[in-house]
Amino acid sequence: MKKIIAVIRREFVERVRTRAFLISTILLPVFIVMMAVLPGLMMSGSDRTSRVAVVDASSVGLGQSVSQAMQSEKLGDGSSTNARYSVQVFPATTANLAAVRDGLIASTGFSGKGQKDGWDGVLVLTDDTLASGKLDYYGSNVGSLQSMSKLQRTVSNALAGVRLGKSGVDEALVKRAMAPADMDTTKVSDGKLTGQSGEDSFLIAYFMGFVLYISILLYGQQTMTSVIEEKSSRIMEVLTSSLTPFQMLLGKVLGVGMAGLAQMAIWGGSVFLVSSQRVHLAGIFGMSADAVRSFPIPSMAPGLLVVFLLYFALGFLLYGALYAAIGAMCNTIQETQQYAVFVTMSILLGFFSVFSLIKDPTGSLGVTMSYIPLFAPFTMPVRWSLSSVPPLQLALSLGLMVLALLACVWLAARIYRTGILMYGKKPSWRELWRWIRA
Amino acid sequence: MPSPSVSVESVTKRFSGHTAVNRLSLQVSAGGIFGLLGPNGAGKSTTIRLIMGILEPDEGSVSLFGSAHGSRKLSARIGYLPEERGLYKKMKVLDHLIFLGETKGISRADARRRALAWLERLGIGEWALKKVEDLSKGMQQKVQFAGALLHEPELVILDEPFSGLDPVNAQVMKDIVVEIAASGRTVLFSTHVMEQAERMCDRIAIIARGQTVVSGTVAQVKADFGGRHVALGFSHDKSRAEAILADRSLIARVDDYGASAELQMVDGADPGQLLAALVHAGVGLRRFEVVEPSLHAIFIARVGADAAVAHAGAAA
Repeated sequence: MKKIIAVIRREFVERVRTRAFLISTILLPVFIVMMAVLPGLMMSGSDRTSRVAVVDASSVGLGQSVSQAMQSEKLGDGSSTNARYSVQVFPATTANLAAVRDGLIASTGFSGKGQKDGWDGVLVLTDDTLASGKLDYYGSNVGSLQSMSKLQRTVSNALAGVRLGKSGVDEALVKRAMAPADMDTTKVSDGKLTGQSGEDSFLIAYFMGFVLYISILLYGQQTMTSVIEEKSSRIMEVLTSSLTPFQMLLGKVLGVGMAGLAQMAIWGGSVFLVSSQRVHLAGIFGMSADAVRSFPIPSMAPGLLVVFLLYFALGFLLYGALYAAIGAMCNTIQETQQYAVFVTMSILLGFFSVFSLIKDPTGSLGVTMSYIPLFAPFTMPVRWSLSSVPPLQLALSLGLMVLALLACVWLAARIYRTGILMYGKKPSWRELWRWIRA
Repeated sequence: MPSPSVSVESVTKRFSGHTAVNRLSLQVSAGGIFGLLGPNGAGKSTTIRLIMGILEPDEGSVSLFGSAHGSRKLSARIGYLPEERGLYKKMKVLDHLIFLGETKGISRADARRRALAWLERLGIGEWALKKVEDLSKGMQQKVQFAGALLHEPELVILDEPFSGLDPVNAQVMKDIVVEIAASGRTVLFSTHVMEQAERMCDRIAIIARGQTVVSGTVAQVKADFGGRHVALGFSHDKSRAEAILADRSLIARVDDYGASAELQMVDGADPGQLLAALVHAGVGLRRFEVVEPSLHAIFIARVGADAAVAHAGAAA
């Protein structure tokens, strides 16, 4: 036991001390945040006020209604106070419409280049607009689908209001009738409310799968390379004279695993700190507290956290043992690839199954996969977070995982015992079988 | 009588087709220095790995300190320097030694204290906080040597401990080995350098082709080999000695080193007759001495002959 601890400590300390650990600790979250935020930013259009010129060539003052509707639109989810649009109406007649429009377009699309009095877009309204709903928009942000659909919705609402008004419906009534539906979603588990919104559940499920995926790929591979290193540096012979293969294997997998967990803890800890202090922090950067609160940081229920950590640890050890066994079978990193690809495939399968599970957490696919030890670490926490899992299923799945882990460590230790001193050629499958039986 | 430190009982080990060790037996009694000698590929390292339990014998048995538990159970009592030197390149020297100590079951504090003492003694104290990869090969070997001895084992097994060391460092290592033996502990080391073994070892075993050729105390081995041996040192006109040295009625075997030679006389031949012949021929002699056979001569004679027999046997 003391010897295993010595191996664990060595693996852990030597790993945590490296520059690579420091860099990945800092850079990976940056990368993940970029991955998460960038597509959102690209899709949602800009979060600043757009300057829109409304050219009103209609005879019924359509420009007035549309600009009012636009000016009442806010940025963000309603808690924000910044207007989405700043609007100016330019009256025109059918005769000079083209001239006014082209004059405005000439000063559109410069906003990014410091031209202060430029426009982001020009909206053209005519009598035809009211009749058939046809209108034109010329702008720099037409590529943003979300911006365009928002603008279109706003204009549609304004048009509907004007049309209803013209048919004699009371303006106040129109407003009430047009009030949008606002739906909040809350997940139910075991007949109780969990306090999570649907969006939160999805985020957590995705997040858990991603963390497991990244950490197994990163750290599982490290156990493999570290076995190879020990073989190529020939330190193995000294170690085998005082340590059993089981001690070496378990110590290595646990040591590397703890280094991985330490990194997770640093990330998790800083997320927790930032999220609990975010109002405070936002103040420092001059953001309003409301704007910050609108950015969701889901919290994990304690039960889910326990399930996740349990499966995380088991899955990590299982894959670590597999990778270590592959390392023991091979002499170079290149050689490992043809074996490692099977392991990588099952990690990928497990990870991508999360996406189909998110759609159908109670389906037979999810249930089956959570009994297969290689996939269970991915599927079970997701099922747990999205639906209520019967305790019997959880117990069975966990039991199978523990069995598989023991079998895997035993198997890996057998291969390890013979393989770590094989410097020569790669073993054939038949030789491998002999090592295991020996 | 205490049980021998190492006892190898007619052990056989085969590797895909060829037999590396063939019914080999060895007894290393407690205390003193035991030399395992043999040419390259004789099976020295395989024998040592079998003793260390790194390899399992196909036949026969190995026991250490009279117990068949295997070296891993007894690793606290055994120090091992493998032929393939290996250290974690990225670790600091001191950390590495502490780790090696821990795998032998000594506490961290103890390991640290002893590691520092060893580094000081080996003259690399100022390298303690450097990474292993920054050290020269010789220094790395010293570190590994210290790692094998850190836990003060009663049995020290060294596979080719002096190979790759310069004379000064080899001397340091030799002093340490002698000191271990002097303190009543047991050293087993392998080498193919006969002079070294002759000077240091109490007992030896010469193996070739996986079999023991000769074993016993150095004096015993020499006495058993028998024959009269003459050591010659030439000062000038060595060429005039050639005809005499080629006389097979007088001289059975010549081991020519250029400026010196070791001869084995034919049984019953008189060394005085040889001396007279050499002087008569005008060979300039620096040295003429009737000597015990050197281990080297025994090695060449026995291993050469044996190898030939084994070869003939394999062909038949």
